[in-house]
Amino acid sequence: MEAYRVENVSFSYPLQERKALVGLDLAIRSGEFVTLCGQSGSGKSTLLRQFKTILTPHGKRDGMIYFQGEPLSSLEQRRQASEIGFVQQNPDNQLVTDKVWHELAFGLESLGCDQRTIRLRVAEMASFFGIQSWFHKRVAELSGGQKQLLNLAGVMAMQPSVLILDEPTSQLDPIAAQEFLDTLRRINRDLGTTIILSEHRLEEVLPLTERLIVMDQGRIIADAPPAQAGAALAEMNHPMFAAMPSAMQIARVVHPESGVVYPLTINEGRNWINKWMKDKAPAQLSDQSAVDASPVRSVVELRDVWFRYDKLAPDTIKDLSLTVKEGEWYCIVGGNGTGKTTALSLIGGTQLPYRGKVLVNGKDIQKQGLKERFHRNLGILPQNPQHLFLKKTVELDLLEMLADSELGKEERQHKVEDVILLAELESVRHMHPYDLSGGEQQRAALAKILLMEPRILLLDEPTKGLDAFFKVKLARLLSNLTRQGVTIVMVSHDIEFCARHADSCALFFDGSVVTTNRTRAFFAGNSFYTTAANRMARHFCPEAITTEDVARLCQSSH
Amino acid sequence: MRDSFAGLHPALTFSYFVCMIACSMLVMHPIAQAIALVGAFSYSVLVKGAKALKFSFIYLLPMLLIMAVMNPAFNHQGVTILFYLKSGNPVTLESILYGVAAAVMFITMILWFSCYNAVMTSDKFIYLFGKVIPALSLVLSMVLRFVPRYIEQIKAISHAQRCIGRDMTQGNLWSRAKNGINILSMMTTWALENGMETADSMKSRGYGLPGRTTFSIFRFDGRDGILLGIMGLLAAIMGAGIMSGTVSMRFFPSIKLAPVTVWSMAVYAAYALLCMLPVIINLQEAWKWKRIESKM
Repeated sequence: MEAYRVENVSFSYPLQERKALVGLDLAIRSGEFVTLCGQSGSGKSTLLRQFKTILTPHGKRDGMIYFQGEPLSSLEQRRQASEIGFVQQNPDNQLVTDKVWHELAFGLESLGCDQRTIRLRVAEMASFFGIQSWFHKRVAELSGGQKQLLNLAGVMAMQPSVLILDEPTSQLDPIAAQEFLDTLRRINRDLGTTIILSEHRLEEVLPLTERLIVMDQGRIIADAPPAQAGAALAEMNHPMFAAMPSAMQIARVVHPESGVVYPLTINEGRNWINKWMKDKAPAQLSDQSAVDASPVRSVVELRDVWFRYDKLAPDTIKDLSLTVKEGEWYCIVGGNGTGKTTALSLIGGTQLPYRGKVLVNGKDIQKQGLKERFHRNLGILPQNPQHLFLKKTVELDLLEMLADSELGKEERQHKVEDVILLAELESVRHMHPYDLSGGEQQRAALAKILLMEPRILLLDEPTKGLDAFFKVKLARLLSNLTRQGVTIVMVSHDIEFCARHADSCALFFDGSVVTTNRTRAFFAGNSFYTTAANRMARHFCPEAITTEDVARLCQSSH
Repeated sequence: MRDSFAGLHPALTFSYFVCMIACSMLVMHPIAQAIALVGAFSYSVLVKGAKALKFSFIYLLPMLLIMAVMNPAFNHQGVTILFYLKSGNPVTLESILYGVAAAVMFITMILWFSCYNAVMTSDKFIYLFGKVIPALSLVLSMVLRFVPRYIEQIKAISHAQRCIGRDMTQGNLWSRAKNGINILSMMTTWALENGMETADSMKSRGYGLPGRTTFSIFRFDGRDGILLGIMGLLAAIMGAGIMSGTVSMRFFPSIKLAPVTVWSMAVYAAYALLCMLPVIINLQEAWKWKRIESKM
């Protein structure tokens, strides 16, 4: 049976010339696991929102959408509410009530189910999702991953036949994201629910996916099982191929001919490389990032720092010492709750250690006044860039940042122009900051910070929720800054990003740094906590950490 | 510890506290007051442990003494004059006793309210009032979700602002006020923008369809029924006692207590049982557990 059939659907937002969706034709079988990918602004969300009339944005639509053979527009709201489940991006914004059990029951209450039915369904869902242990908790006490699982469970309690998810894991850390995706797989496999998912984390999602739909500028450019869809992208030489899993990218570079079946998972990738390297002697990678021997000033130094949030609380930071050199891009990686973010706020001086010293530019951070601390010295980018936006447009918002400075009007404008150019904000300068996509918001917030001319940038998970292209743009911006001598200290879950761009990495565990090294040596020394590419090829060459490295390794081995 | 009285149906707990607070307000007879005080005090210690003891001795006891001394300083009614103040006003036995009785009443009520706060959690309250006005229960639940969330956001925003050198706690009055207004303005934009997603999530889950029901995790079981019967009976006896004047008391001009009769004894007994009901239920549960454990 068909879950959805889309016939020649086009859509345009009011007052916009460009169509957001252009003549789409699509049929989704019931029980399928479909992943939708594409750059930000390619029309993924717009398409997903066509699948439930109450969420469809205002605008002009042509064409027909059928749900289980019936025209969607004439389908009763009550049936749509229960049969079509929709999960959005932000875990917090979707929670309506204060208690977990109430949230689970919310949809069923709306449908007007009686006590006994709700009790049964809520019990079933709590058991299926393993929510029993936090069933009575307040939602504010939950972690991000738990919140998103609760959103999913609240929707599943209404027993939908189709589940639509719009980038549900973009705000989650890798472990929570993996757990969420595993749950989706269980729902699809055990309950037969059709799943339509838009995602950036293709590395994790593609192994679960039966069918990958790639969108570009409102059109579907590939629609096939993941391996074939990837091959099609490769043939088109499409930039979206850069978002495909590492295994596929390596195989493509090594084997550019068409008609190859590309590997998807790390395991497949490893087998593929094994086959390729058979009877070949693995080449040595020349290390291009030779360590600069000249002595460099250290700008951030932590000496035996201890910290806890409360007198009676356990120590969050234990005996932490670290040194960051001038102009270095320093990444702190590690699991959740190990104290990474706390370490960052200690460097920023917003938290006070109870033992030990925090030196920034050789001076105790606590002895620096606000002006000294944040003017031409430290710049801190908050995890949520929205916390910095004040004005109606990006440009006004940037100008506002200079309101307190002694510069003349022209000089200010000049500085703002410079930073807009640097952060690639030209096309969005007249838009409201909240209307930008995640990656653009991130860069707009960074631009605001850059107006303070920081010499040291502290970034807390700057790649959270960004797609592959925005990550590339962000990296370009940041490495431009390091070339100008700006030091970057960054906390991240994004191993691939750190491996590709950072100069040094530190593994944080249990309130302290376990190991620090130059990036290549760092990942070569880890056996589990490392990139996908490295996991595939480390038995040949542990120093190969990015897809490029591994591709180079494969090509130069004879 | 686990409070088994709190495990009863919210309707029961709520009506119990209403009843107890009303009784302790209406009755000033020393025996009844002593009963209520002992009941409220022992239950508060049971619910909140050492914290309740500390609270009672640090705040309530001094308050009792102060009120007992303050009343005769301003109230000079009564016939039994003990001595005269420097101002020439008499200090009477009746006014001292009245002060003590009023203080005891006040303290008993505070104790009952503190127990109420610990036992009647927000979801119980929402459930009870949702029964009366269904729309209100969701509104209350949403308020409890969003108010703490907004406060958290304001903290996060002002923290982010401090990181760009704009601190509401430093600088002159003008810049402080400006920063404060900026934070408020950001908060409003944030709340409106993110509220859209919440609205979508509600609509998507069928909010607004006619015939909405209210789910609760509370069930009125047989035990609740039996206890409601017992409570009703005891409260009725006490009510009859109050109406018939068996537990009344007069302070001015001279002290007159209602005489002790068989009927009044029965009323006191009923009141004592009622006041000690939460403690009795807990003790009975504890005893049951002891027996079960000894059999295992």
